[in-house]
Amino acid sequence: MSSSSGISVSILELYPEELEASGERGNVTALKTRLERAGHRADVVQHTVGRRLPKDPDIVVIGNGPVSAVRAVHDDILDNAAALRSLADDGVPFFAVGAGAELLGAGITLADGTVLEGVGIFPFSARRGVPRQVGYIVVETAQGTVVGFEDNASEWNLEAGAVPLGAVTSGGGNGNGREGVLAGSSVATQTKGPILPLNPSLSDALIRAALERRDEAYAPSAPHAELDRLAAKSREVIVANVKSVFTTI
Amino acid sequence: MRYIAPVLVGRAVRAVTRARGGGSALPGYVVNKMAPGFIKNVVAQFEYGIVFVLGSNGKSTTTHMLTEVLRAHGLTVFTNPSGANLPQGISSALLSEVGVTGKLKADIGILEVDEAFALELSKTLLPSTILMLNVQVDQLYRFFETEVVADMMLDTAAVATSHVISNRDDAYLSKIGEILDAKGAQVPDVTYFGASPKLVASSAHGLFNAANHREKASGATLDALAELESWDSTGARIRVDGALADISLPAKGLHYGVDAAAALATAAKVLGADFDLAKASAAFSAMTPAYGRGELLDFGDEKVEFVMFKNAASLQLNLDALPAAPEQVMVAIDEGTPDVSWLYDIDFAQLDHVDVLTGAKAWQFALRLEHEGIPVGTIEPDLKKAIELMRALPAPQTGHKTWVVNYEQMMLARKIIGYGDMEVSF
Repeated sequence: MSSSSGISVSILELYPEELEASGERGNVTALKTRLERAGHRADVVQHTVGRRLPKDPDIVVIGNGPVSAVRAVHDDILDNAAALRSLADDGVPFFAVGAGAELLGAGITLADGTVLEGVGIFPFSARRGVPRQVGYIVVETAQGTVVGFEDNASEWNLEAGAVPLGAVTSGGGNGNGREGVLAGSSVATQTKGPILPLNPSLSDALIRAALERRDEAYAPSAPHAELDRLAAKSREVIVANVKSVFTTI
Repeated sequence: MRYIAPVLVGRAVRAVTRARGGGSALPGYVVNKMAPGFIKNVVAQFEYGIVFVLGSNGKSTTTHMLTEVLRAHGLTVFTNPSGANLPQGISSALLSEVGVTGKLKADIGILEVDEAFALELSKTLLPSTILMLNVQVDQLYRFFETEVVADMMLDTAAVATSHVISNRDDAYLSKIGEILDAKGAQVPDVTYFGASPKLVASSAHGLFNAANHREKASGATLDALAELESWDSTGARIRVDGALADISLPAKGLHYGVDAAAALATAAKVLGADFDLAKASAAFSAMTPAYGRGELLDFGDEKVEFVMFKNAASLQLNLDALPAAPEQVMVAIDEGTPDVSWLYDIDFAQLDHVDVLTGAKAWQFALRLEHEGIPVGTIEPDLKKAIELMRALPAPQTGHKTWVVNYEQMMLARKIIGYGDMEVSF
């Protein structure tokens, strides 16, 4: 345990202006808060279009956004593709949501047939323009039950042998009963928004992977108890209301 | 004469739905089915035509402001009840005003319209003037792509037969002039309202308008016919066509000041030479708060101030408008706000604590506040019990308690404390 002598952990947030359209800033907040409550320092560094990619992050986070935002960052992320892939190869955990995850996959086929090349960290490709899935989603994963809110018109096709985040028990997910995709300790998910605050087990797995690279042990303890209690209660209500119907236009 | 039967049937339906204790869009639906030409015929009678008020936030407030300003100029105004902005709600509202032969005595119609239905409705209602307020990230589950929402408004604006009034400070809506120019359209003419750049720069979170990733900002500053210069707890200072006016606001906040500028710019265009800034100011002085927007209601010997939100922008701008951290706070949020992902985009620095958190989404809200280290007294998902907990607190020194509520919880809370009137009351 390192609560007496914490280390400094760097969280790299990719394209916060474009790709945090559905509250994915909350994922950064959750990682930072849990690290701090474990006695570490969390430095959030941001990468924006046209700037140099910050060096040596411990965790990389990217979020969701509309197609116009994907186009706005596309050239920049391809310019940095080699650097991002080398981070992933070194075992730096990525947590990627929605459109940001799709940019880190093999590629995105848009509704009009255009294909946007991806960075190739996650073993899947995305196809847009399928019927939209909106509402609560429940997924059984290796980290236990993961709940959240999905809102996408995107189908994820995993490459042969790729491992999904889990199996959907309620909701749409990738479109074939599975949700998300894993690459080592990295997670890509269709469950948008602040999924990490709601699912501390996912946060802890990412933090553990990041700290292992630094030879630091990690385990949540008393300072995390209230976060975990409120997350558990939130999840209980979501599971109870999972069939709520949401109108879409 | 051909409307007598449908109108009478519609009214009967209305009487029944009212007797059952609620507002309803059903009567309008019934009349639409029985007499599809009914609405077109009614609105053709308005001398000043129809004004559509569109926007992610502020539609009800601005419709109310514009209505009162025009009434102060002697016009008879037909308007839809706050929030009744879907097609059937609008038909129902018309139905409650017309005579059985389909005659409606009004000079102008001012209608807040849901952006998703605006273009469709414009085919029936043929609006002369369209006011566009803002594109903000609204209910995420419904309009994820903000540019889709922007296009719904921009496409509707292009069909106005006289005037378009648009927000100079909105990254999407400020493009309407260029869009119409590119089409070579002679009508409608385009007028802007806005907030002074200095004021926006000094506001904690700006105007909270959506980012435009599609088009680059032109960099040019467009002229605004009405520009908000400042606001405070008593009102706003707005420059209209070069003349300064200090007006009172029915609710406090930067966004309400911008709404007032929008209403004044629209009134000035609709009335032309008959627009009188003194009459407009007098109308603002007499205005009562719109439903749930800064209203003070009786709660035993105390008062309750309702701060209503429906999305990130309205919550942030309403929090920013609080003069200080409220002394006693209840927050109520339920499944009426389906997707609360945006809670993590909100800066809660204006709250130093919450006394009671209630509603089905209370736990998610509490989880958010726990990440900020903002203490929460009690989490009580049942609203009735939560209100009793608030009642049991000692009288606040400010004389009022602050309830931050989503629309659905506001309606329930009003009923529980004895204000059971429905906002949508046909």
